Amino acid sequence: MNSEERISRIMGFHRPKADDDTHSETKLQLEQDKSTIPVPSVSKRVVLGDTVCSLAGTADHGSSAVEHKGEKKDLFNIAPEVGSDGTTELRQRSRGDLMEQRTPQHGLDQYLSRFDEAMKLRNQLMSEKPSQENGNAAEEFDSFRIFRLVGCALLAIGVRAFVCKYLSIFAPFLTLQLAYMGLSQYFPKSEKKTKTTVLTAALLLSGIPAEVISRSMDTYSKMGDVFTDLCVYFFTFIFCHELLVFFCSEAP
Amino acid sequence: MSEQRVEAETATDAAAAAWLLVLSSVFLCNLLKILLPSCSSVISKLLQKDVEQESQMRSDIQNMKQELATISMMDEFARYARLERKINKMTDKLKTHVKTRTAQLAKIKWVINIVFYILQAALMISLIWKYYSEPVTVLPSKWLAPLERLVAFPTGVAGGVGITCWLVVCNKVVAIMLHPFS
Repeated sequence: MNSEERISRIMGFHRPKADDDTHSETKLQLEQDKSTIPVPSVSKRVVLGDTVCSLAGTADHGSSAVEHKGEKKDLFNIAPEVGSDGTTELRQRSRGDLMEQRTPQHGLDQYLSRFDEAMKLRNQLMSEKPSQENGNAAEEFDSFRIFRLVGCALLAIGVRAFVCKYLSIFAPFLTLQLAYMGLSQYFPKSEKKTKTTVLTAALLLSGIPAEVISRSMDTYSKMGDVFTDLCVYFFTFIFCHELLVFFCSEAP
Repeated sequence: MSEQRVEAETATDAAAAAWLLVLSSVFLCNLLKILLPSCSSVISKLLQKDVEQESQMRSDIQNMKQELATISMMDEFARYARLERKINKMTDKLKTHVKTRTAQLAKIKWVINIVFYILQAALMISLIWKYYSEPVTVLPSKWLAPLERLVAFPTGVAGGVGITCWLVVCNKVVAIMLHPFS
C-alpha cells in the first residue's frame, strides 16, 4: 500500500478492488481524450474542482488524487462528451456532484497540504542529518550552556557553605534561573536548527500549525535546560554536603 | 560491646556510602555504554580466529592476479583460462567467507549489547530494590522544602534523598560529564 492509497483510505475514499480495472480503463480513456481535447487542463480543472488550486504545485499528488477518486468515475466517463458537446454540460454536472462531495474534498485537500508539509519536513530532516552529526557537540555545548552549568555548580557550593542554614536550597536556584532568563539575551544566540523529529511530523499531520509546534518545542527545550541545571545543582550540593560531612567527622 | 559498636559504625559507613555506590554504578554503566562498540569489536576479534586465513586468501588472489597479468592470453590460452578459473573460484570462496564472518560479527555484537543491557537493568533493579525503603543520603528536611516528598520518594523519610531521584540526577550529570568522550 503506497502513501496515496493510505491517504485515500484515511479520507474514506474506499474503492472496491473490482473497480480498479474499470478505473484504469477510464483513466486511459481520459488520457486518450486529453490528446483530442484542445484544452485538456480545463477538463481536469472541472473534474477536480477547487482541489486543483492547492494541488497545482504538487503534480504527483494531484495526479494521485485523480487516480483514487472512485466516486468520480462517472465524471471520468463523461469525458468523451466534452469532445463532442463542449464543456458546459460537464461543468453543470460536475458542479452538482461537487456540491455533494465538497466536505470530503476539502478534507482531502487539507490533508494533502499537510502531507506535503510533512514530506518537506522529512526532506529537510534527511538533508540536515549529516550536518547535525558533524556539529552536534558544538551545538549542544555552546558558551551559554557551559556558563549555566558552571554557574549552577558554583551556586550549589555557595549555598551549601553559607545560605542553606536559613532557607530552602531551591530558592537560590530559582533566582539563578530568573537571572539566566535575563542574561540569555546578552549571549550570542547560536543558530538553533529546528529539530525535526517524528513527533513534529506527527503533530503537523494532525493539523497543528508549524509556528505553534516550533514554539512548544522551544519551550520544551527550555524546560529541559532548566531540568539539567537543577540536576547539576542538586548533585553538586549533595556532593559538597557529603564531602563536608565526611571531612568534619574525620577531623576530630 | 566493642564488637557491637564496630558493627554499628560499619553499618553507618555503608549507609553513608550509598550515594557514592549509586553514583559509581551509574558512572560505570555509562562508561561501559560508551566503550561498548570497541569492546565488542575486540571480543569478536578474539572469537574469530580465521581472520588470518582470510588475509592469506586475499594475498593469494592478489598474487594470482599479478601472475595472470604476465601471461599472454593469445599464446598461453589454456594456462590463462585455468588461472582465471582458479581466481574466480577463490574469489567466490572469499566472498562466502567474508559474508559468514560479517554475519557472525553482527551476531556477536548483538549478543554483547543484549547482555550489557540486561546486566545494566539487573543492576538498576537491584539498587532500587536495596534502597527502596531507606534514603541514599539524609539532609535536614527544611533544606529540601517544598519538594522534600518528591525528593524522598519512595522512602517517605523527611529530608531523605530517594533512590529514584538520585538515579535520575546521577544519570543526567554523568551523561553531561561523559558527553565530550561519546
